[in-house]
Amino acid sequence: MSHTPDTRSQRLYWPVQMQRNRGVRGLFVVVAAFLALYVYLFPGLFSIGGVSKFAQSWFPLALVSMSQAILMLTGGISLSIGATVSLGAVIAATTMTGPLGVVGGIAAVAVAGLGIGAISGAIVVRLKLPAIVVTLAASFIIGGAALLILPRPGGAIPIWFSDLLAGNTPAALILLIVTALLWKLYLATPLGLSLYASGENPVGAYRGGVPVDRSLIAAYAISGLLAAAAGLFVAAQTGSGDPVIGTAFTLNSIAAAVLGGVGFLGGRGTMRGAIAGSLLLSVMINVMFFLGFPPVAQYVAQGLIIIGAVALPEITGRRGPR
Amino acid sequence: MPAPIIAARDVSKSFFGNPVLRDVSIALVPGRIHALLGENGAGKSTLINLLSGALPSDRGTIEIDGKAVAALTPAAARNAGIAVVQQELSLTSSLSIAENIGLGAYPRRYGFIDYGALARRAKAVCDMVGLDESLSRPVGDLPLGRRQMVEIAKALFREPRVLILDEPTSSLSAHEADTLTRLLVKLREAGTAVLYISHRLNEVMRLCDHVTVLKDGVVTADQSLAGTDADGLVRLMVGRDPGDLFPSWTATPETETIVSVEGFSSGPLKDIDLTIRRGEVLGIGGLVGQGQEDLLLGLYGALPASARRASFDGVPGIPASVPKANALGLAYVPADRKREGLHLIHTIAWNMMLPQFGRARGLSLRNRGKEKALALDLADHLGIKGDLTRQVQALSGGNQQKVALAKWMPSDPSILLLNDPTRGVDVETKREIYILLRRFASEGKAVVLSSSDTPELVHLCDRVAVMREGKLAATLDRDGLSEEAIVAAAMGAEEAAQAA
Repeated sequence: MSHTPDTRSQRLYWPVQMQRNRGVRGLFVVVAAFLALYVYLFPGLFSIGGVSKFAQSWFPLALVSMSQAILMLTGGISLSIGATVSLGAVIAATTMTGPLGVVGGIAAVAVAGLGIGAISGAIVVRLKLPAIVVTLAASFIIGGAALLILPRPGGAIPIWFSDLLAGNTPAALILLIVTALLWKLYLATPLGLSLYASGENPVGAYRGGVPVDRSLIAAYAISGLLAAAAGLFVAAQTGSGDPVIGTAFTLNSIAAAVLGGVGFLGGRGTMRGAIAGSLLLSVMINVMFFLGFPPVAQYVAQGLIIIGAVALPEITGRRGPR
Repeated sequence: MPAPIIAARDVSKSFFGNPVLRDVSIALVPGRIHALLGENGAGKSTLINLLSGALPSDRGTIEIDGKAVAALTPAAARNAGIAVVQQELSLTSSLSIAENIGLGAYPRRYGFIDYGALARRAKAVCDMVGLDESLSRPVGDLPLGRRQMVEIAKALFREPRVLILDEPTSSLSAHEADTLTRLLVKLREAGTAVLYISHRLNEVMRLCDHVTVLKDGVVTADQSLAGTDADGLVRLMVGRDPGDLFPSWTATPETETIVSVEGFSSGPLKDIDLTIRRGEVLGIGGLVGQGQEDLLLGLYGALPASARRASFDGVPGIPASVPKANALGLAYVPADRKREGLHLIHTIAWNMMLPQFGRARGLSLRNRGKEKALALDLADHLGIKGDLTRQVQALSGGNQQKVALAKWMPSDPSILLLNDPTRGVDVETKREIYILLRRFASEGKAVVLSSSDTPELVHLCDRVAVMREGKLAATLDRDGLSEEAIVAAAMGAEEAAQAA
């Protein structure tokens, strides 16, 4: 009898997970198709080197997409992700060769990310301000701080550390898998799962005894941590810190999360969807490069695909019930 | 009689100086199903909010297990075993049934949600309420009635000593309502105290042991239900003194029909036959949310509607859009004037001219002089005082409502549809609006007045159509018009009498 809870647990936990896949199955098919096309165009992908290089180009986008998806699950949106990436890169590049060392540098980046997220979250939640305004203001403050620390590209990342993360190793892929698993563990805690209730129906959740404020602020902190970590990785890739390197990530993170089926109203969407959305964007850019599209055409195609992804469920959904 | 688990003693509550509850006492006793009855706005929801700690009371005490609680919080109420099934659903649609049921009280193991224990305990409460759906299904997939059952299961998950149900059956099928009835009887045997709010008198008569009736925030009855009849309960709920709020008027003699619909359906409305005559004020009554707004919007072309036969001022068919309805002489004044009726940050004059903009020809320029004259004339006509270049939001609720009415006057509508026009309006303005409505009627226009205020229907209308669950429950003529008759029709007292 002692193992009964475990089998029951599987009977509830895994079916719940399967149900969450429903909304993203179509996306998985599209991602698989693009991946197949990519492999066809570039058979070199099937090698340690090929996988490593691709994972490295994808990893930072995957992290910021998760960061954005978490914020969108709270019912908000973040415009400060790009600036946080820049700040993470700058902090990593100025600390790791100094007295703090690599471990101290990683800790500094993590503390900065968590702190930025927690403070923005507390402002949004406690003062009941719109997330878009608070994170817009935060993007100026954080971006300014990055420029104060490092007015022009510079600093350095120890070469062995750059090689470990962004050399000829699949470290990025492994880190991404670990990050996704950690998120799964977080969602298996009461506080983690409460994010869905707090984001979709805060009044109902509060009446039901959910610590709404705490779950939202925790989500902001995790979101900040992920964005800063993406900055650290970008610094390791380039070997130095650039105070404006993250700018493009803000809009790309929104694009990936939207492609991944994360809704704007809070509580709708999954992290696996956001990760798949970021994968689709990365593969698409690579595929179009191999097909010889000029970079400008890539932007246009990216925009069309995002509109298509958002409009498709609307169109099919409208045809359904009536 | 056993001691009450929770009791309110002489509690009072006001909102913005407006008393909602006055010296109300109620005691919830284990093993008893206690009904709470009252009309719209009698103070039922406020009383529930006081008992569950969602609102503090102004005066009086709340006692739990005989001990007065200084300031009851939602957390303290939950810990004391008080669970509320609210009317607005509190569920998260992307989470599964089990995750919703346990939300806020998840069983844990090593800091994680213990899905094994959750599955076991959620299954137990689902069995109690007759939910046989897979526990892993997202709640967003379920129809409204099943969601309500999940809501009830969620309350039971915490094994409450006091269960408060706010109109639990309004979205349930007959089968689900039966299951709920059996469940409540079982809970009563197990010694749970149940507070049951319902607008269905037959349910209350069948199920409950004791009743508290609220009228205008005052308890008018606190008695055993044994030996009470449905009509007696209705009498306890109604009977406000109208005073001299209503203007005197003479009923218009039988006149020609201007609108007639047969088999009208729109949204939740099914198969409604209705005629509207020139020169009358036709009241639309009933409890809140029985389809009154859908009826008005359907007639106005703002919601898709169909009818077997329809005629508007001699033109067959239902207007297919708002401009077409306007062209037929229909005008609509919405209930939520802040959101639907007015553009708050624009000036009074701009708001009054708005319907005219649509009919301006092409790109011809506005004639400011003419507009100004018209606006002044309207303001004078309706008694809107002061500078017309102020923003509408600077006006009081009553004067805003007058602007919402005024904007339709230049188009000279022949059919005026009004959705609760006096809600949140001060007494003096109410009287002015009443005089205005009767004047429209005497000019040969047809006025349709949907109202949640029963005295208004009785004292102002030539006829009243009472709606219940998307159907016309009764149409009352001047002779048969009384508050008792309207409330009885709205709550299905006839059915209750037949069932008894």
